[in-house]
Amino acid sequence: MVALSLPRYAVRRALETLISFFILVSIAFFLFRVMPGDPTAFLLESPRIHPGVRVLLRQRLGLDRPLYEQFFIYLGNLVTGELGYSLYYGRPVTELIFGRRLLNTLALVGSSTATAIAVGLLLALYSVRKYRSKSESAVTVFSLVTYSIPTFWLGMLFIMAFSVRLGLFPVGGTITAVKVHKDLLELAADYLWHMALPFTVLTLIQIGYNYLIVRNAMLSILQEDFVMVARAKGLPEGSVIRRHVFRAALPPFATIVGLQLAGIFTGAVMTETVFSWEGLGRLMYEAVSTRDYPLLQGIFLVILAAFLAANYVVDLLYAYLDPRVRYR
Amino acid sequence: MRPSRLKEDLALLLRNPYGRLGLAILVALVVAAVIGPYLTPYDIWQYGICRPFEPPSTQRPFGCDEIGRDLLTLFLYGGRISLLVGFLAALLSTLLGAVAGLVSGYLGGLVDSVIMRVVDALLALPGLVLMIIFAAILGPSLFNVILVISVLSWPPVARVVRSQVVSLKEYPHVEAAKAFGAGATRIIFKHIAPATMPVVLANMVLQISNAIIAEAALSFLGLGDPRIPSWGGILRFAFRMGAMSAGYWWYVVPPGTGILLAVLSVTFISYALDEIVNPKLRRF
Repeated sequence: MVALSLPRYAVRRALETLISFFILVSIAFFLFRVMPGDPTAFLLESPRIHPGVRVLLRQRLGLDRPLYEQFFIYLGNLVTGELGYSLYYGRPVTELIFGRRLLNTLALVGSSTATAIAVGLLLALYSVRKYRSKSESAVTVFSLVTYSIPTFWLGMLFIMAFSVRLGLFPVGGTITAVKVHKDLLELAADYLWHMALPFTVLTLIQIGYNYLIVRNAMLSILQEDFVMVARAKGLPEGSVIRRHVFRAALPPFATIVGLQLAGIFTGAVMTETVFSWEGLGRLMYEAVSTRDYPLLQGIFLVILAAFLAANYVVDLLYAYLDPRVRYR
Repeated sequence: MRPSRLKEDLALLLRNPYGRLGLAILVALVVAAVIGPYLTPYDIWQYGICRPFEPPSTQRPFGCDEIGRDLLTLFLYGGRISLLVGFLAALLSTLLGAVAGLVSGYLGGLVDSVIMRVVDALLALPGLVLMIIFAAILGPSLFNVILVISVLSWPPVARVVRSQVVSLKEYPHVEAAKAFGAGATRIIFKHIAPATMPVVLANMVLQISNAIIAEAALSFLGLGDPRIPSWGGILRFAFRMGAMSAGYWWYVVPPGTGILLAVLSVTFISYALDEIVNPKLRRF
């Protein structure tokens, strides 16, 4: 077995990613085109509409052409970034996805993920030092609970406690709707005030996972020979853990964070729905509730592209850090 | 797996505090869901039993919903759906994953590449988001929820089982079976599958908690069965009726606690299994 050079590995993985994308995109086509009937079906329900209207509409939408022809038109549109129109909003799907909503989701997901990583790492460091103590058990139980709690329910509890009962935070939304903001600073403050609760929920549900992964990795590393050597050298226990064990646990954790992105986005969908946060997740919930298939399909395709790309980058990063993966 | 080994593992599980707690909670929930609905005097369709949004009282400890249904009754029936979907979907997805992993690992070649590409693609994507989209297209029903969860959750099981099979197929007893002329199906299911059982079971525990959470989320978004609400479905009603803004905590707290306890009990069991199977965590 010979190791591939990094550029060759990159090309090979790019091809594999493209194949995956093509397969999923084809599945999406048949799922959205074939399963729910066709978008003109609703015309049949109204007796006042002439049947000819449906024939015309099918022609306009290209639904009268053979399925394979529709498939190639679909692929062509995909390549040129044409995702069609939302039935509910009546606006281009690309415009709805790539705009304010994407930024709102990135702000929420980015800030909470970064915070959850930092807190998870700190808790893991603490718990390994205090292994088998009362406080370590408390931290572990806390993380198992946050790992198990349904995201949307935690959000509902937060709204009941902090928004309704205590009146500290708004019940939902991204900014106060009726308010005219004097300057940018006030707008930012309002935005952050609305983000506080969804941010806390999304952070809390991620901490448990990060903590458990790093903690278990560190506990395994504690058994390694180099740790014994470090201890034999007479290094204080805190320094052994911080400088040797913690360092060694970080690279595998980095790739797990990359793989976890998919789960974080899922959490964002539930959080945004409960807090009416104007992001992609909330948009998806609206598309589901209004059965807005073009919009749903657009979101699906964008998510596919984004996650396959993220996975590709993580793989390359890993191949760079650990050349052993390039042997295949 | 030999039965004596299973008994030993159960004893080890009971000796672990997390395992004990997890098993106790799970058994309590299952018992409540199975026999609970027989003990309540109402069924889930009976409305007007009490005032809308009546707070908990000694007579009706869980209070009432917007049309005067007894929330305790809804809770018990809801638990049935949540746990049933959780166990069934986990069983199906584990089975799917195990078979895919066995076939992929044993046959290798093109079959293996195709199955593993599908696994990679599915693992890279947000599972619940795919479930939401598939469920939205298929329409809300109990069957569709189970179908969607199991069809989209098998990849991790397949990957773990496959990695086991790749090394197991080089074992002498498999080579011997091959030399005797046993076919691929017989070798896979008679000589390799039993050895992967511990890994498969450990993964199924994780699948249960994932399935319960997924079902709750789908039902909350209105993609579950509208006729008999699960715990997630009850929370959907509570959310849409403005129970949070009105401060009707008795509508919100019990169903969520049910989901949390179910998932937590399974998580505790899997955590305990991890400590038992992985001795590095036990020593020190």
